[in-house]
Amino acid sequence: MSIVLDSGEPAGPLADKWDAFKDQMKLVSPANKRKHTILVVGTGLAGASAAATLAELGYHVKAFCIQDSPRRAHSIAAQGGINSTKNYPYDGDSVYRLFYDTIKGGDYRSRESNVHRLAQLSANIIDQCVAQGVPFAREYGGELATRSFGGAQVSRTFYAKGQTGQQLLLGAYGALNRQIDAGRVEMFERREMLDLVKVDGKARGIITRDLVTGKLEKHAGHAVLLCTGGYGRVYFLSTNAFNSNGTAAWRCHKRGALFANPCYVQIHPTCIPASGDYQSKLTLMSESLRNDGRVWVPKKHEDAEAIRNGSKTAKDIEPQDRDYYLETKYPSFGNLVPRDVASRNAKTVCDDGRGVNITGRAVFLDFETAIERDGEDAIRDRYGNLFHMYEKITGDNPYKVPMKIYPATHYTMGGLWVDYSLMTNIPGLFALGEANFSDHGANRLGASALMQGLADGYFVIPHTLGNYLATHKPAAIDESHPEFETVQQEVQDDIDSFLESHQSGSTTVIDVYRRLGQVMYDRVGMARTADGLRSAIADIRKLREEFENDVKVPQNTDFNKYLEVAFRARDFLEMAELLARDALEREESAGGHFREEHQTEDGEARRNDDDFAYVAAWEWKGDGEEHELHKEQLVFENVKLVQRSYK
Amino acid sequence: MATKSFVLKVWRQDGPDSPGTVEDLTEYAKDVNEHASFLEMLDLINERLMADGKRPIEFDSDCREGICGQCGCVVNGQAHGSQRGTTVCQLHMRSFEDGQTIVVEPFRATAFPVIKDLVVDRSAFDKIQQAGGYVSVPTGPKPDANSFKIGKEVSDRAFDAAACIGCGACVAACPNASASLFTGAKITQFALMPQGAPERKRRVSRMVETMDDLGFGHCSNIGECEAACPKEISLESIAIMKREYLKAMLAGS
Amino acid sequence: MLPLKKALTSSLGKKYLMAASGIALVGFLVTHLAANLLLYLPEGELYNGYAKALHDWGPLLIVAELGLGGLFLFHAAVATGLHMKTAAARQKGYLEGQRSKGGNSRFGFPANKMIWSGGILFAFLVLHIIHFRFGPGIAEGYEAMVNGESARDLHRLVAEEFRKAHIALPYAAVMLFLGAHLRHGFWSWLQSLGAMAPKYDKIIYSLGLLVALAFALGFLGIPFWYLLDVPGMLK
Ligand SMILES: Cc1cc2nc3c(=O)[nH]c(=O)nc-3n(C[C@H](O)[C@H](O)[C@H](O)COP(=O)(O)OP(=O)(O)OC[C@H]3O[C@@H](n4cnc5c(N)ncnc54)[C@H](O)[C@@H]3O)c2cc1C
Ligand code: HEM
Ligand code: FES
Repeated sequence: MSIVLDSGEPAGPLADKWDAFKDQMKLVSPANKRKHTILVVGTGLAGASAAATLAELGYHVKAFCIQDSPRRAHSIAAQGGINSTKNYPYDGDSVYRLFYDTIKGGDYRSRESNVHRLAQLSANIIDQCVAQGVPFAREYGGELATRSFGGAQVSRTFYAKGQTGQQLLLGAYGALNRQIDAGRVEMFERREMLDLVKVDGKARGIITRDLVTGKLEKHAGHAVLLCTGGYGRVYFLSTNAFNSNGTAAWRCHKRGALFANPCYVQIHPTCIPASGDYQSKLTLMSESLRNDGRVWVPKKHEDAEAIRNGSKTAKDIEPQDRDYYLETKYPSFGNLVPRDVASRNAKTVCDDGRGVNITGRAVFLDFETAIERDGEDAIRDRYGNLFHMYEKITGDNPYKVPMKIYPATHYTMGGLWVDYSLMTNIPGLFALGEANFSDHGANRLGASALMQGLADGYFVIPHTLGNYLATHKPAAIDESHPEFETVQQEVQDDIDSFLESHQSGSTTVIDVYRRLGQVMYDRVGMARTADGLRSAIADIRKLREEFENDVKVPQNTDFNKYLEVAFRARDFLEMAELLARDALEREESAGGHFREEHQTEDGEARRNDDDFAYVAAWEWKGDGEEHELHKEQLVFENVKLVQRSYK
Repeated sequence: MATKSFVLKVWRQDGPDSPGTVEDLTEYAKDVNEHASFLEMLDLINERLMADGKRPIEFDSDCREGICGQCGCVVNGQAHGSQRGTTVCQLHMRSFEDGQTIVVEPFRATAFPVIKDLVVDRSAFDKIQQAGGYVSVPTGPKPDANSFKIGKEVSDRAFDAAACIGCGACVAACPNASASLFTGAKITQFALMPQGAPERKRRVSRMVETMDDLGFGHCSNIGECEAACPKEISLESIAIMKREYLKAMLAGS
Repeated sequence: MLPLKKALTSSLGKKYLMAASGIALVGFLVTHLAANLLLYLPEGELYNGYAKALHDWGPLLIVAELGLGGLFLFHAAVATGLHMKTAAARQKGYLEGQRSKGGNSRFGFPANKMIWSGGILFAFLVLHIIHFRFGPGIAEGYEAMVNGESARDLHRLVAEEFRKAHIALPYAAVMLFLGAHLRHGFWSWLQSLGAMAPKYDKIIYSLGLLVALAFALGFLGIPFWYLLDVPGMLK
C-alpha cells in the first residue's frame, strides 16, 4: 500500500485559504452532533480547548489525561507568553509578518498554508482568552501589555507574569469544566491511552489504562483527537514534566500513523544547568529573560577557569574582558536571536573552554545593566517569580549575581504527520498541539506553541472535524465491536508478559532511561554528525536489549508509577532510533537540526533546499523492520527561501 | 559534593481501604546529594528500595518546578515542608540538616482519600471548579481584547489569586481541612475582573455549596492555608469570597 | 438564586451567624465588664445600686436575660453544628502533630481551639448563673441599703465567694479562656463577614490582643482582688 501525502489544503491565494476551506466544508447538523462521540486524549491547551469547544457545539466528548486533574497538563508550565498579531504596540506587526517570522524561524521547513492560518487565528485567541477572564499583564491605562521574544523585531508577545501557560490553560480548563458541569464532557483522569482501535481503516476508539486500578478500558467514538504533547523526554532530562511522554503518538504510529520530522527537536538556550546524576528534570528560565538579560562568558580562558574553581566571581571580570558573544555576533537581534542559534552559540563557547560552572557547561545571563537602567522593582515586576524560582533551585540570588544557564531539550517540532485539517493519514485520527508536526518547521519561535495549541483546539478542529464527520459519515459504533476486545487483549497480554519478563534484573528502568537520554543529548542533540548518529543508533539498540533483558520492574498491577514509566521508556527506546535515523537521513542543517558537516564558514546552519525541502514522514513497518520514509514536498509560493540571518 | 543522611519515616498504605503504617526507611536515606530536591531524594530511595526487591514509595509529581500542583505531601507536620512559597518538588535537601528526622505522610482530609502511600485523590477540587470557576463564554468571535479596560493594579491582584496551582496544601494545612482558600482564590479572580461580573452571584453560591457538600470543613480564619500556599495566595481571597457570598445572599433570589 | 435559608445554613452563612452573635456577645461583655469594674470598689453601694436598677426592670429584665441566654445558646449551637461537620473533615491527623509555617498564620491555641475555649465558657456560664444569679439573696441575709431601699448585697456575696481559693482560682482560669476566645474572635468576626482587608489586618489583629487582655484581666482581677484581700490591704 503506497501512501500519498496530500496536505489537503484548499487552492487559491495563501491569505484566502482558510476562508475558502470554511466556505466549502461540510457541516454536521446540530441534532446529529449529539450522536457523535469524540475522544480527546490529553487536556493541555490543545486538548482542553478542543474538548470544550466541541462540547459547546453539541458533540458528546470524552476527554482523558494522565494527571489527576485536567488542569495539570504540561502546558501549565509555559512561562513566557503567547504571540498574536494584535499590533497594539503599533510597531508594524501584521498577519503576514507573523507568518513570515514563523516560517523563517522554522528555517523554511513548514507548510505555508498551516502557518498562515495560525497567524490569522492568533488575534482571535487573545480575544477569546480575555473574554474568559485570563489575567494577562496590563498597562496602567488598562490595556494589554506586550513584550518581545526571540526571532521577532516587533513586540507581539502577550503574557501573564511568568505563568502565561498556566493562565491560558486554566482558562481552557474553565471552559472544559463548564462543559463537564453541563454533562457534555465526560472526563477521565489518571488514564493513559495505550492503544488505538481501528475499524475499517478508520480510528474508532482507544484502549486506556486506569492508572489507579490498573484495569484496561475500551472507549469507542467517531474520531480520536490526540493532544498528548511532545516527546522531549526521549532525552530523559528536559524541561518537560515527569509524565510527558510519546506513548500515545507512538502507539498510533505503530498502528499506521506517519511520524513526521522526528529529528526536529528544540534545545532551549536558557535553562538551569544540570549539576548531578540525581537530577530528574531541567528547569527552564523563560526566554523572555533575554529581553533584559545579557548573555556572556569571560573572554579569557583563565578567567573562566578562575570562575569555575571559585577563585573569581562574575563581578571580578572587567567589562572589557566579558564576551557578550550574541550581541557582537548578531548586532541586530543581539540577545534575542532564535533559540537554536542561542543554544548552539552557548555550546560553542563552552566547547571552547569558557563555560562558567563546575561542569564547564554554563554561560551567564546577567541583569546588572537592566537593573541599573530600570531599577530592581521593575525587574521584579517583570520576572519576579522566575527569579524566585531560580533562587530556590540554585540557592543564588539573580538580583545580585548573574544567572547561570545552559541549553536543555525543550520542545519537539516533529510529531504525527497531519494534513491541513490536522488529520493524520489514519482517517478519524487527528493530532493537535505539540503532538503534531504542523507549524514550526525545524525550529519553533518562542511564544508560538501556546498559540498553536489554542488555535488548533479552539479554532481549527471545530471546523475540520465537522468536515470529516460530514464527509466520511463514520457509522455508529460502540465498545462491543469485536475489534475492541482484540486490541484490549493485545495490550493486556503485552502488560502481562512484560511484567513476567521483568521480575528480576540487575538494573532499573530509570537507569537505562537516563543513559538513553545521555546518548541522545550527546549525539542526537544540538550538534550532530553522521558518525555520531550511527554510533548513537548502535548504542540505542544495545540499551533496548539491556532494557528487555536486565531491568527489574515492580510487579503490582494496580497503581504503579514505575510500570507506567517503564512503558513510556520502552516506547522512547524505539522512538530514539527513529530520531537518530531521521537526523542521519537529513543531510543538511535546518533549525534545531544541526549537522556539523553542513555549516557555513562562520558556523551557521546551511540548508539544502534542493534536496531536503520536504517533510520526512516515517512509516512503521513492524517490529525489527526498518521504517519507510515518505516525503511531502514543501512548496513555497509566498516566501523566498534564503539563508536565515539574524546579524 | 556534599551528601547528607536522614532518619526517614514514610507513610505506607497499599490502597484506599488498607490501614497503612509508618515505615522506617532510614537505611535507604543515606548519602543523599544535598542539591537534590525532596522528590529526587524519594526517587533515589525508590531506586534503592527496588534494588532490594521492595515496593517503591508511590507519590505524585509532574512538572517538578512548582507549577502543576500535582505533587504534595506533608513533611514533618508541614504541607510541602518547612519552606514558605515552595512546593515539595522545589524543596531542596540543602534545607535539611544532616541526620535530621524526616516524617513524610500524605495530605490528610476526608475529601482527599488516600489512594496509595502519599498519593491522594483530589478530584473534589475539580468538582468545585466545575460548579462555576469560569466565565461562561463559548468559543467564537469575541470583542477586541482591549475593549475590556482593566487597571494594572486590579489585573495584578486578579492574577495573584489566579496563580493557585490547586495542589491542596491549603486543605492539608487547615486544622479544619477547609477548602476556602482554594475556592476563594477563583472567586476572587472573577470578582475583581469585569468579565466575571454577570454571573458572580451564581458562581459564588454554587461553588460554596459544592465545597460544603464535598466534606471540607469550614473556615475559622486561622490563616495557616496562606502560610502553606506555595503561591502565597492571600487570605484576602477568603474575605472576598465571604463578601461575594454575603452580597449574593442579600440580593436573595 | 441564593435563598436566605440555604445561605445561612452553608458553612459561610453559619460563620456570619457566629460573627453576628459573637460580636453581640462582646457587646454584652462590655456592659458586664463596665459594671463589674465597680466590684473593685471596697464599698458595695454603687455595684448593688446597679444590680438593683437592673432588677427593677422587672419583666423586662427577664426578657433581656432570656434574650441574652438565647444568644449564648444560639452562638454555642451554631458553633457545635459547624464543628461536628468539621471534625469529620479530617478523621486522621498528622503523625507527630502539625506545625505552623509561620507568616500571618494565627495557628495556635486561641484560633484552633475556639470550640474548647467556647465550650469552657459555656460550662462556666451555667455554673456562673447558678452561682450568682440564682445564689443566696436577701432572704439568706445578703441585704444592703441602696438609696434607702433594700437591695440584694451582691457585692458582699462576690467578695466572700472570691476569698475562697477553690472558687477564685477556677474563675480566674476561665477568664484566660475568655481572653483566648476573644484574642481570635475579635479579628475573626470581621474576616467572617468579609470585612477584612490586608491593610487593616495587622492593626485589627493587634487590637484584638488588647481587647482580649482588657477583658481577661478586667474580669480576672476581681477574684484575685478579693482572694488577696486588696481592699483590706488598701484600708
Ligand atoms: C517549561 C516550558 C515552558 C514553555 N514556555 C512556552 C512559552 O512561553 N510559550 C509557548 O508558546 N510555548 C511554551 N512552551 C511550549 C508549550 O507549553 C507546549 O508546547 C504546549 O503547551 C503543549 O500543549 P499540548 O496541549 O500540545 O500538550 P500538553 O500540555 O503537554 O498536554 C498533554 C496532555 O496529554 C495527556 N497525555 C499524554 N499522553 C497521554 C496518554 N498516553 N494518555 C492519556 N493522556 C495523555 C497529558 O496528561 C496532558 O493532559 C513551554 C514548554 C515548557 C515545557
Ligand atoms: C462571652 C461569651 C462569648 C463571646 C464574647 C464570644 C465571642 C465570639 C466571637 C467574637 C467569635 C468570632 C466569630 C467569628 O469568627 O466570626 C466567636 C467565635 C466562636 N465562638 Fe464564641 N463567644 C462567646 C461564647 C462562646 C461560647 C459559649 C461558645 C460555645 C461553644 C463559643 C464558641 C465559639 C466558637 C466555636 C467560635 C469559632 C467558630 C469558628 O470555628 O469559626 N463562644 N465567639
Ligand atoms: S510536581 Fe508540579 S508542582 Fe510539584
